[in-house]
Amino acid sequence: MANAATESTIDKIDQTIEESFVQKAVRWLFSAGGITICLTILVAVVATIHKGPYILVNTFITGGMWALMAIGLALLFSVMNIAGFAHGEYFMAGSLTAYFVMQPISNYTLEHPESFMAYVGPMIAILAGTFMCAFLGILTERLVFKQLRMRNREGWLLNCFLITLGISVIFQNTHQLAFGANFKGILAYWDFPSVPIFGVYMSIDRICAFFIAILTMIGFYIFMMFSTSGKTIRAVSQDEDGARMVGISVDTVHVLTFALSCGLAGLAGASLLFMFPSYPTVGVMPLYNSWFIIILVGFGNVAGSIPGGFMIALFQVLTRSYLGEGWEAVVPVLLISLILIFKPSGIFATKVRTVWDE
Amino acid sequence: MLLEIKSLDSGYGFLQVLWDVSFYVEEGEFVALIGPNGAGKSTTLKTISGLLEPQGGEILFEGNPIGGMEGHLVCRKGVAYISEELNLFVNMTVKENLEMGAFMIKDSAKQAENLEFVYELFPRLYEREAQFAGTLSGGERKMLAIGRGMMSGPSLLLVDEPSLGLAPMLTNEVFKALKALNARGTTILLVEQNVNKTLKNTSRAYILEKGKIVLDGKSADLADDEHVRKIYLGH
Repeated sequence: MANAATESTIDKIDQTIEESFVQKAVRWLFSAGGITICLTILVAVVATIHKGPYILVNTFITGGMWALMAIGLALLFSVMNIAGFAHGEYFMAGSLTAYFVMQPISNYTLEHPESFMAYVGPMIAILAGTFMCAFLGILTERLVFKQLRMRNREGWLLNCFLITLGISVIFQNTHQLAFGANFKGILAYWDFPSVPIFGVYMSIDRICAFFIAILTMIGFYIFMMFSTSGKTIRAVSQDEDGARMVGISVDTVHVLTFALSCGLAGLAGASLLFMFPSYPTVGVMPLYNSWFIIILVGFGNVAGSIPGGFMIALFQVLTRSYLGEGWEAVVPVLLISLILIFKPSGIFATKVRTVWDE
Repeated sequence: MLLEIKSLDSGYGFLQVLWDVSFYVEEGEFVALIGPNGAGKSTTLKTISGLLEPQGGEILFEGNPIGGMEGHLVCRKGVAYISEELNLFVNMTVKENLEMGAFMIKDSAKQAENLEFVYELFPRLYEREAQFAGTLSGGERKMLAIGRGMMSGPSLLLVDEPSLGLAPMLTNEVFKALKALNARGTTILLVEQNVNKTLKNTSRAYILEKGKIVLDGKSADLADDEHVRKIYLGH
């Protein structure tokens, strides 16, 4: 009797789980995430028809990079419960490194315009920025967060918030002290004529930035889903004790997470050097943008950061072209306030996981 | 002797839970640790598995001290811990959970062999292979947690309250699986509230009350003991 009862409940559960694909799609469409994404696509299409394709093109180019920054932030939050306010500084460090590596390369390519370096040189600069930041991230983890974790874990979230603010101040002032506050920028990575895309003339740099972002996201996805290291990162973010119980060294995963997260910020900074010349506080705007994304999609939602990045970018592009430059900072903050009031868990409604839950 | 605990003190910060606890587990045994709520059973297992640092005493595994060692290192020595909360990776599929269980086995043939063994033990898990662990029912979660523990091919399995929140029928199933594991040579240290069933299934048992071992002996003898019958079995 009991047996039959259990079987029938299990069957019922099976039926609810195994709803058809159409049902799932419909349910998703009417969730907050589905509505927002459909609305975004609609707005994007209308604006593109109204104002021209540059809206879409600009959205995709900056959105990809903001998404990379946000992925890093989300990783830090979901794996280590760190609210990273120093993330903009890794963006700055990435662009600074790329600048210094790019200097000799561009001097060389000026003399030898037809050389191999004209194509590969910028890649070297961008990779140098990425690895430099990954290294800085590892240093930060070892020197600061590991020490804090070993000392005590009480008030972890607030302590980390204050510490990252401190790190940000240190990075900015070190930059100013050592390299000065002037703009350190380049004219272009790839010095070739622009190409028209849907009637908009795009510099090669912008196109490359877009493809770098897309390829990095694909690579990141494959890494997280299929590699052993990626799986350990996911395991630690889902259950730290569980990860320890299967023999994963949580310490190593923390280092890896920091390296990845800061490396992504550095990659964004280095790839966007042609748009944002390096100066001490260049990271502030990207930091705000990535925080907008994180709040929009829900804290610690790594996958959601990607559509979130494009949404925020679209939002900014629209604000700029319809309301003017000055409103760019105002309108997103307004949107974020509304989201925090009405949907604090973000549009994808992930469970907000913080140390307060533990 | 596989596991030997010598006058172990443990607890959470200023709150000491275990006071001078000593016991041992021989290779191949199925030993139970029973006692009322708050006696320190789970604390004992957490301390052995390295999630909690002991405040005093010694833990010897295969003759080597493992007290105070980090959790992942204890696991790599061959101790698998299945906690009360199960600590599954809820946003990973059943198969991924099991694969993570074999994380430290580098040999993929050995991994596949363990996976096959777990699927054989719990055919239900094979049916749900591609499902997220968070969507499983209570009983299936228990099976998955035990299966994940077995994936590393441990020599000692620490199991915390496998019957918690399960229907009697499913409890029987879990006990059957544990017995089968024990018969295949895995040593098991079981913490349980279900005293009746535990004493029937295990070979030896310790009774932990208020952080101290008060009684120990063969399970069959303990079931006849006056104190145990009065407090735990209710007859």
